[in-house]
Amino acid sequence: MNNEAKLTKYVKAAGCAAKLGPGDLTEAIGGLNCTHEKVLVGMDESDDASVYYLDEERALVQTVDIITPVVDDPFVYGQIAAANSLSDVFAMGGEVATAMNIVGFDGCHQPRSVLKEILAGGQSKVNECGGVIIGGHTIEAPEMTYGMSVTGFVHPQKIYRNNTPRVGDVLILTKPLGMGVLTTSIKADMLEDSVVEKVASILATLNHKASRIMQKYDVSACTDITGFGLLGHAYEMSFHRVSIGFWMSKIPILEEARAMADMGIIPAGAYNNKAYVNMYVDAKVPHKDEILLYDAQTSGGLLIAVSQKDAPKLLQELLDEGLSYSAIIAEVFEKEEKPLFYM
Amino acid sequence: MKIDCSGLACPEPVLQTKKALESLPNDSILEVIVDNIASRENVVRFAQNGGLETRVESLSDGKTLVSIIKGFACQIVTNSKDDAFLDKTLFLKSHTVGEGELGEKLVVGFLKSALELPKIPKRLICVNTAVYLTSAEEDSPIMEVLKALEAKGVEIYSCGICLEFYGRMDQLKVGKIGNAYGTLEMLFGGEGTISL
Repeated sequence: MNNEAKLTKYVKAAGCAAKLGPGDLTEAIGGLNCTHEKVLVGMDESDDASVYYLDEERALVQTVDIITPVVDDPFVYGQIAAANSLSDVFAMGGEVATAMNIVGFDGCHQPRSVLKEILAGGQSKVNECGGVIIGGHTIEAPEMTYGMSVTGFVHPQKIYRNNTPRVGDVLILTKPLGMGVLTTSIKADMLEDSVVEKVASILATLNHKASRIMQKYDVSACTDITGFGLLGHAYEMSFHRVSIGFWMSKIPILEEARAMADMGIIPAGAYNNKAYVNMYVDAKVPHKDEILLYDAQTSGGLLIAVSQKDAPKLLQELLDEGLSYSAIIAEVFEKEEKPLFYM
Repeated sequence: MKIDCSGLACPEPVLQTKKALESLPNDSILEVIVDNIASRENVVRFAQNGGLETRVESLSDGKTLVSIIKGFACQIVTNSKDDAFLDKTLFLKSHTVGEGELGEKLVVGFLKSALELPKIPKRLICVNTAVYLTSAEEDSPIMEVLKALEAKGVEIYSCGICLEFYGRMDQLKVGKIGNAYGTLEMLFGGEGTISL
């Protein structure tokens, strides 16, 4: 990897670790009234992307996301930021059509050539899923940010919402946890190159394939794990209608993330998430790696609620297609005292 | 020595703590001032992971003082993890101890009692119908015991061929899948093997 640009050294927090906490966000957008008859999924539902009805066959899926650098290589940063932005469309079960770049460029620390590489990285990922970049906007900024506004399509009858799991379903997670801890470790230069490359390749993996595969099975809900961490997003999925029980030993967590977390390299975002979600978690069994379940993920995997009958087949196909960290990690139960618990 | 990590975001407080600790001789105290929960938790975590004693105090200005004792302090820091284990492997060849319904209960009882021992076996290897235990129903008594053993750090291995033979490969809920080579190595390599 080309780490000369040292992108991560000029930002305060890495990637989604820089995200505003869910409590703060709810308060800020709570007062906005954004309802409209054609809005199928809007802001009040805290879903991954919005969906706007066009006709019987098509609805528009729109989302926007920007992140600060998580790796020092500009091209790879571009790829990861793009994968992160595109993911929300896949989480809704949609296909990407167009994307527009949004760049805050730190011209004080970086030459223009870095910008070119970032954009090339982003484009490579948009092209990979069959989309096209049709424009963008760049401003000078004190800290580098990059991401995209993405537009896609979904069938209005086949929208995958994030809060409609059925009792009896199990949850499959398609990428390992620990990315917030690891990207913070990258910023601190604490990881070997080989580990950085492994982390970068997980981050740059599109959720496109996982989304396409899940559509063949009996799936009731889907979301992507990003800034609010596994438990934050699972809490949204429970929607206070069901309870979700996790098999702690089944949750894929990168070994290197555990080691870094033990050393205290845990971004504030994880503690913010914990402070907000903790009260909804029945943690009778304390768990050493619990903080990693709150770790803010950049470009995290899909969390898919699927019937128990289809789960083994879906899991096998995900594994066969190279999404090798995929695992069945939880089951959906009738509502209990708390929306989330450990088994 | 005292360092002020106010206003710093992760990983800076931990990195500065690490650097300061390395520069200090044994039997000295490092005081770290932090001003947010993440920094406090991380600095404490870092110190404890290195086996060092910490003390946390709230200061009048809302900040927190973390004192880290480098050296042995008043307690002798032992590697408690290894002390908790016997260097022995428990080898289970069946899902029962003896015949019938009583045999099934005895397995649960035996393993449950093992949990209470001051020193527990390091490993548990399940072959033949013993893999029924590691692939039992999620809320069954045996699963609870096995998960508790695993939480204590006992390594649990189930024979892959056996799981496949009984069609329970996708039902394994605790521990890892072991292979013949690894199993033999554990049986011969450890200090002793107990078979039920």
